[in-house]
Amino acid sequence: MSEQVQAAVPAKQRGFSMDAWAVLLAFVLAALVRAGVFKHIPW
Amino acid sequence: MASSIAIAEVRPVNPALRFLTIVPGVLLLAAVGYAGKVLEANVGKYAKAHHWTFPNIEYVLWAILLGLVISNTVGVPEIFRAGVATYEFWLKAGIVLLGARFLLGDVLKLGGTSLALVGIEITLAIAFMTFLGRVFGLRPKLTSLLAVGSAVCGVSAIIATQGAIDADEEDSSFAIAAILALGALSLFTFPLIGHALHLNDHAYGVWSGLAVDNTAEAAAAGALYSDAAGKLAVLTKTTRNALIGFVVLAYAFYWASRGQAQAVGNKAKFLWQKFPKFVLGFLIISTLATAAFFSKEQIGALANLSRWAFLLTFAGVGLRTNFKALSKQGLKPFAVGAIGEVVIAAFTLGLVLAAQRVFGW
Repeated sequence: MSEQVQAAVPAKQRGFSMDAWAVLLAFVLAALVRAGVFKHIPW
Repeated sequence: MASSIAIAEVRPVNPALRFLTIVPGVLLLAAVGYAGKVLEANVGKYAKAHHWTFPNIEYVLWAILLGLVISNTVGVPEIFRAGVATYEFWLKAGIVLLGARFLLGDVLKLGGTSLALVGIEITLAIAFMTFLGRVFGLRPKLTSLLAVGSAVCGVSAIIATQGAIDADEEDSSFAIAAILALGALSLFTFPLIGHALHLNDHAYGVWSGLAVDNTAEAAAAGALYSDAAGKLAVLTKTTRNALIGFVVLAYAFYWASRGQAQAVGNKAKFLWQKFPKFVLGFLIISTLATAAFFSKEQIGALANLSRWAFLLTFAGVGLRTNFKALSKQGLKPFAVGAIGEVVIAAFTLGLVLAAQRVFGW
């Protein structure tokens, strides 16, 4: 069995979950766009 | 074989140190994703200039293919692995930002329709996978993990259920490997089937969201078809993800009643812990966009930020998939998963075609 597959089951986490950090980052980016810090994001 | 199938282990380390360890891998995700964009822009032009017939391949496929080539030839060196494993983080941030492209009314309307379809899909998937697991003589908890993985949301659901039903790590590994391998195959088969059946963006997007298990692969399978299909695939898959807590809770009750898992204490707390928080983030951004909190230009900027986040995700889908390592995970779980996925894909396709006629998509 692959070590990496076994490692896919994460150890118990403390503090914020990955979900919560992702939401926080998205909110911070949205706030910066709203505040005009990022005026144009190219694609 | 230590190859890059999945998520790196989460160890409690100094946050600053942990941040530094992910930087190389995130840069690799960005480089592979951006290379996908460059190839999309230039390969077609080059082929046209040389009068070659070459299909128009979008950046999504280029990014996945480049990642697959790296992972399955030279492999992903250890220094990059922690950062590559962040692809799910970028996926979730991208989904929250994608909320800016949906008016809340559309979310409720499409989400309501999706919820009904998802309810049918989850019921069928769990029943059929349980039946198949018994026919193939799989261990009961491995069958439960495969059923949850194919019914709700792939790897996240398997990890959540493994803890709730006290399943062996070996069973989780088998189930995760089967779901990831089938997810990788769906990236190539779903768009082909969609085009062969001339599905429109709406029907194809809902089908991908219903039938592809892992959220990253569902988003990629949708985006491979079109931008609009990608949006709907993410919305439908997010609806599926929102139900993860209820399905895991039902399994926890089942195994606890058989004395093979710990009893669930506070049900509301259990549901909240299992609920994917990015679904709430998506709804909040969608509500703000609907309330005109953002200008049109700002919504465009948020949409592009979401695209960049998805670009890192698509690169990660390729980079973390190693077919050789996946093939070593055992034939039986893979066979059960494959048969189940084909049946679920066919059933959900029929469901979507019926819904298309009813709702006039």
